[in-house]
Amino acid sequence: MTEVDARGKSCPLPIVLTAKALRSASAGELVTVRADDRAFPEDIQAWCRKTSHELVSLESKAGFFEALVKKP
Amino acid sequence: MNERLELDDLRHHEQFIALESEVKELTRRSLEQAALLEALSGKVSGAGQEDKLSLIVFSGSLDRLIAAFVLATGAAAMGMQVSMFFTFWATAALRKDAKVKKTLLERMFGWMLPKGVKELPLSQMNMAGGGPLMIRHIMKKKGVSSVEEMIDLCAEFSVELNVCTMSMDLLGMKPEELIDYPNLSFCGVAKFLETAAPGKLTLFL
Repeated sequence: MTEVDARGKSCPLPIVLTAKALRSASAGELVTVRADDRAFPEDIQAWCRKTSHELVSLESKAGFFEALVKKP
Repeated sequence: MNERLELDDLRHHEQFIALESEVKELTRRSLEQAALLEALSGKVSGAGQEDKLSLIVFSGSLDRLIAAFVLATGAAAMGMQVSMFFTFWATAALRKDAKVKKTLLERMFGWMLPKGVKELPLSQMNMAGGGPLMIRHIMKKKGVSSVEEMIDLCAEFSVELNVCTMSMDLLGMKPEELIDYPNLSFCGVAKFLETAAPGKLTLFL
């Protein structure tokens, strides 16, 4: 499973890195994205809606957010 | 009694005829509207519907260039097609260090204009060059990509970079002194208008 660590990075990097990871992912693959940017929760939801990816989960962890994105 | 029934029959028959002609009229009108809709939808599709962001970058301030590239990389990450048009002061942002043959006047402009992103001033709080240094420092601390990094990301996402040749002529800039960017194109206003017109989002920075 691909993991993207965008902690310590600010907009637009978290979603840019997400886009890159999902581009090289295979169909149905799950990608984990971690970021501590305050904009991340809203941005990742917007990104998934716009690019028709499934946001499997979005959790608040100790000091960062963790999203699980599934490639269609 | 018979007469009564016949009168009823006649009335029902008349009502039936009236209804029939009403239905015929409604059908005719609905077919007319369907044809009109089809004709209109042919005209509407393609008008401002392409999932594209077109950006005119006019300003040569570092703050505006940062905004331009955040928008461009963000839009590209969201799957949009992105086209940037650099004109006027923004063309200086695409300069690199290069020895180019110029006339005296062109060389003078070359000295007075920033030589690439590293020399861009801020539109406010420039503080004789202190401002950009501060902003760059904070950007690094907060993990914000530098403009140079964002330009690389743009290349990865096939963002189109177009440069206004008229601005280059006015400011004495030569193609050889611009950064190496895949498919960097030199164009005029017509290219911008053709590119931007069918797109959803067009901005001027």
